[in-house]
Amino acid sequence: MDRIIFGDNQFFGINHMSEEKAQAQSERFKDINAIIKVIDTAYDCGIHAFMFNTHDRVAELCDHFRANPEKYADLRLYPSIPYAHKYANAVNEKGMIGALNDFVFADRSAAQVLGTLARGAMSIVSQDMVKVMKLLVDAEMRMFKGLNVRAVFLQNIVTDLLLGLGAKTVFVEFANHIRSIYGVEPAFNTMNLPQLVDFLLQCGIENPIICSSINKIGYLMNPDKTSYEGAIRTKPFRPMAMSILASGAVGPREAVEYVASQKNIRSIVFGASSKAHIQETRDLILSYGED
Amino acid sequence: MLRGAVIGFGRMGLTHFSILNTHPDVQFVAVCDSSSFMLKNVGKYTGIETFKDYRKMIDRSGLDFVIVATPTGMHAEIVKYAIQSNLHIFVEKPFALNVHQGEELVGMLKGKKLVNQIGYVIRFNDVIIQVKKLLDAGVLGDLLTFKMEMHGPTLLKDAKSGWRSKKREGGGCLYDFASHSIDLINYLIGVPDEITGSVLQSIHSVNVEDSVSSTFLYKNGGRGNLLVNWSDPSYRKPAYRFEALGRSGKIIADLHAYKVFFRAKPELDGFTQGWNQRYVTDFVEPVRFYVRGFEFTRQLDYFIDCILENRPSDVCSFEHGLETDIVIERIRKDGEIRGL
Repeated sequence: MDRIIFGDNQFFGINHMSEEKAQAQSERFKDINAIIKVIDTAYDCGIHAFMFNTHDRVAELCDHFRANPEKYADLRLYPSIPYAHKYANAVNEKGMIGALNDFVFADRSAAQVLGTLARGAMSIVSQDMVKVMKLLVDAEMRMFKGLNVRAVFLQNIVTDLLLGLGAKTVFVEFANHIRSIYGVEPAFNTMNLPQLVDFLLQCGIENPIICSSINKIGYLMNPDKTSYEGAIRTKPFRPMAMSILASGAVGPREAVEYVASQKNIRSIVFGASSKAHIQETRDLILSYGED
Repeated sequence: MLRGAVIGFGRMGLTHFSILNTHPDVQFVAVCDSSSFMLKNVGKYTGIETFKDYRKMIDRSGLDFVIVATPTGMHAEIVKYAIQSNLHIFVEKPFALNVHQGEELVGMLKGKKLVNQIGYVIRFNDVIIQVKKLLDAGVLGDLLTFKMEMHGPTLLKDAKSGWRSKKREGGGCLYDFASHSIDLINYLIGVPDEITGSVLQSIHSVNVEDSVSSTFLYKNGGRGNLLVNWSDPSYRKPAYRFEALGRSGKIIADLHAYKVFFRAKPELDGFTQGWNQRYVTDFVEPVRFYVRGFEFTRQLDYFIDCILENRPSDVCSFEHGLETDIVIERIRKDGEIRGL
């Protein structure tokens, strides 16, 4: 696992602290070249690992990576699927079943649709959610075809909904599908780390990779920071920290210092938009050792 | 341990189930939906008992409470049956299809000690909680003007099918989307004494409106504007913006941050004359279990606390839902639908 992973929220107008900041970012990164420039800055700083949501813009980025294989020879991707807002809007327009149909069969030629139908055995008609889930995973993963994917994350809204439902089979099947079809590790984003760790271990998913907000002020750490610290210290899993700056509420130095003090944290995901911030955060993380 | 059930297992029903299924004092025993796809999978992957007929479910399941998250058009008959069955009820917004239905339901609650709550979840947003405290403390002085804006990319194509495109079933921007901001005005400022200048416009939809604007007037001299559009593709997700000006100051808020301006030094710890910026990270507390936003858990845990502690749900009761329905109906009457 990479020690430093570059995140993508800043590119897509996602900022938990301020709608104004989010808006400003979304204007700045309107042009895909503005995004590529920041990615290249991170890449040139030696950060070759990236976590991407399956936003439509990321599909454009993936095209760019594929078109420049030499430049991105050491690129390592950690997709997080699905990008929930596109589903939310589709569900509003077409209802759940209509939206599922759309996503499973989107952007496919007739032959591909037939292939999908054969493999999924008419999943939606056969009404098995796990088969539908696998088709959706495949639909989401299409944009990364041919690129070096290291782990596939289940996005936090889906993870946490399923965790609340207690749907063990769905987690196990997701994990098996990612391992068998993509040959990489399944991983999970969550806002409820302590509960998810216990649940995944009960599911028999050993030493899982789990990414969650981990920061000095306890922002987005549910039910509380102490439970996170306890889980990180004592449970057999691979923690990955994101939101270490708590949307800007914590300065970079104390942010990294806090995360580094949680000894078992393997990876740190951070996003930034300027060369100075990228370098500063990278240097701070590396100053606490490579791993 | 409280025994609960969810009626209507769409996006909101699923979210509510997930949040309360992890509550230490709640045991879900049944789920009801009209879709066999949903029921089959819920049954298979959670092991819970499923029903297509909510009456049968209520009769057989020995429930303490129900969560009603069906399309709005079905709220009234289900809630009526739940009240008759003496269940505590959480129902999604908006409350009912018309004021008559809502009044009947509120009337049925008289003399019964049932916790009743409407899913106007933004009342439980952490910024709104702070803004409400400031306004209730009167820090702005007499209110002069306010505006409540809400924009989102909820409907960017004509939705010809589904209940959202049918006014009779509770579709349209006014009922389904603007109701949140109308409810927030009722909550933060008060129910308007007069409503004027309402315009309901269709942008993509054929049968319902996609944008709503209106002017609210108050007997004390205050006035405000409502501006809502659910067909704005420039937004990533629904966004609120609230601004209120009083004789002593001004407040500007969205769901992530607020800033308050004081004309003179206020008698409030931590605030100074001029602008004071506050971010959600300054005051938010974590929740027991998080799905989609802190406010979703806060509203449901509040509902359960009210049942357990045998007290009414004051923050967002059926009466509040009815008040919002009344304002919606007044806007509808005041305005007119015109296509663009």
